[in-house]
Amino acid sequence: MELGRLEYLQALVTEFQVTDSTGNKRRCSLPLSVSSVSSHTGPFSLAEAKEQVLANLANFAYDPSNYEYLRQLQVLDLFLDMLTEDNESLVEFAMGGLCNLCLDKTNKEYILEANGVEPIINCLSSSNEETVVSAVTTLMFLTTPRSRAQTTALPVVECMLRFSLSANTRLSNLASIFLQDYCSPPQVEEARNLSRHTAVGIPLPKD
Amino acid sequence: QVYTINLESRYLLIQGVPALGVMKELVEQFALYGAIEEYHALDEYPAEQFTEVYLIKFKKLQCARVAKKKMDERSFFGSLLHVCYAPEFETVQETREKLQDRRKYIAKATNQRDCFVLKKVEGPKKTASKNSEHDCPWSTLESDVASNWDPSCFTSSPGVSHNTAYPSGNQNQSLLTSPHYDNNCAEISGYFGQNTSLTPSVHPGGHIPPASLMQQRMVPAYNGIDRFMPRTTHLQERKRKREEGNKFSLIGTSEDNTEVVIGPQLPEIPKVDMDDESLNTSATLIRNKLKEVADSVSTTSVEKPESSSAKPLVKQRRRI
Repeated sequence: MELGRLEYLQALVTEFQVTDSTGNKRRCSLPLSVSSVSSHTGPFSLAEAKEQVLANLANFAYDPSNYEYLRQLQVLDLFLDMLTEDNESLVEFAMGGLCNLCLDKTNKEYILEANGVEPIINCLSSSNEETVVSAVTTLMFLTTPRSRAQTTALPVVECMLRFSLSANTRLSNLASIFLQDYCSPPQVEEARNLSRHTAVGIPLPKD
Repeated sequence: QVYTINLESRYLLIQGVPALGVMKELVEQFALYGAIEEYHALDEYPAEQFTEVYLIKFKKLQCARVAKKKMDERSFFGSLLHVCYAPEFETVQETREKLQDRRKYIAKATNQRDCFVLKKVEGPKKTASKNSEHDCPWSTLESDVASNWDPSCFTSSPGVSHNTAYPSGNQNQSLLTSPHYDNNCAEISGYFGQNTSLTPSVHPGGHIPPASLMQQRMVPAYNGIDRFMPRTTHLQERKRKREEGNKFSLIGTSEDNTEVVIGPQLPEIPKVDMDDESLNTSATLIRNKLKEVADSVSTTSVEKPESSSAKPLVKQRRRI
């Protein structure tokens, strides 16, 4: 992995976070910085620049050799923060990034310590297919004996039950695996009984 | 676009194939990147006029990944192909295996560093103790993943079934008949082509660890493999892989199959006899080169293809 590129990203991440945290519409060079090295033609909006950066980071997160560096850049926090954004693309990319790097022990513990499970569970109700799919997988990967109670809580299991009936193969496959491998039969049974009596719950994503 | 394990798949969808009855050529072209398990046309899939849509299922995700990268937007019989992953065709079991493979890969990759560090210091105690318990790298992986994991989940995973699926497929392929571009595929098929006498205890773990290990060792960023080797250089490709696969350093020594390798464990390759003079000569040369290279390559990262191609090549040519 070219270090130059990662250093460049570091600069962007810094810029990203500063812009984000102040919330001020002050002059931000992030769009300019990104456009100067991107193949994207035409002007960059701040939102687009952010999306580009996040997408890049999420893709870097696929490769374990980058994990140390990403941790140093506090990208894990960035991903978790982005989960509550209004911008659907930012949520999608952040969720994808988390999905990519959460199998690593250190990353896993970090996410769990930072109470990351909750926003991820909320992503299950997103209308964006990729977001939901990434969230399901991430919950699986984050399930440990300690975190189990949270990641396989009743509402989650209920939700997975409904997903397993979805026409979307990817989603139903993942949900089935979740139910079969990560939940105990009593858990599934309890959720099944509950969903028979209630109509409300986490909605299925739009296809 | 962000690539996650959910988006990738062994299944590839190929659109834009000209309707000229070129299925055979298409499959042959894709087979350059790895063993193909299944393929067929998708007649019900929407397609532009005069084009067809095909589904190709690779044996290994890594091969599919490379094939997609190489074949996407490539001209084929005058038409531009569009290649993408098709995870929607996976069965539940296949998806499960895909996730398990990813899990194992990460487990190995994140252990890797420890092993390298220990390797510098003489006689790594950590890995040595693991070695003494379990000969099979599979077990090492298991204990590693399981430490953070509910054992019941792991045992219900298709560890065993996954393993048995492969040998039957791979053993049919010898290095001679199916050139595998991807290092993963080559190692594995070469593995089984040679080792018909692998003991059962080693066998189950025989291919998964090399897969993930080869991935890790070969390419730190394994989503960016960009080495296309034409068929004729298959020999040097294999040789290069052997050199990079310095963990297989026991090729030089022969008999002791249970000898433990320092660092990431791999089942040892017994002495190669490919029933072919030129191949055996090559193998001997490779062995010698490997011994030479073994120490220096141990903790460095990936050997770039460019640099390896500069190395003195084996003169013998393999008869196809």
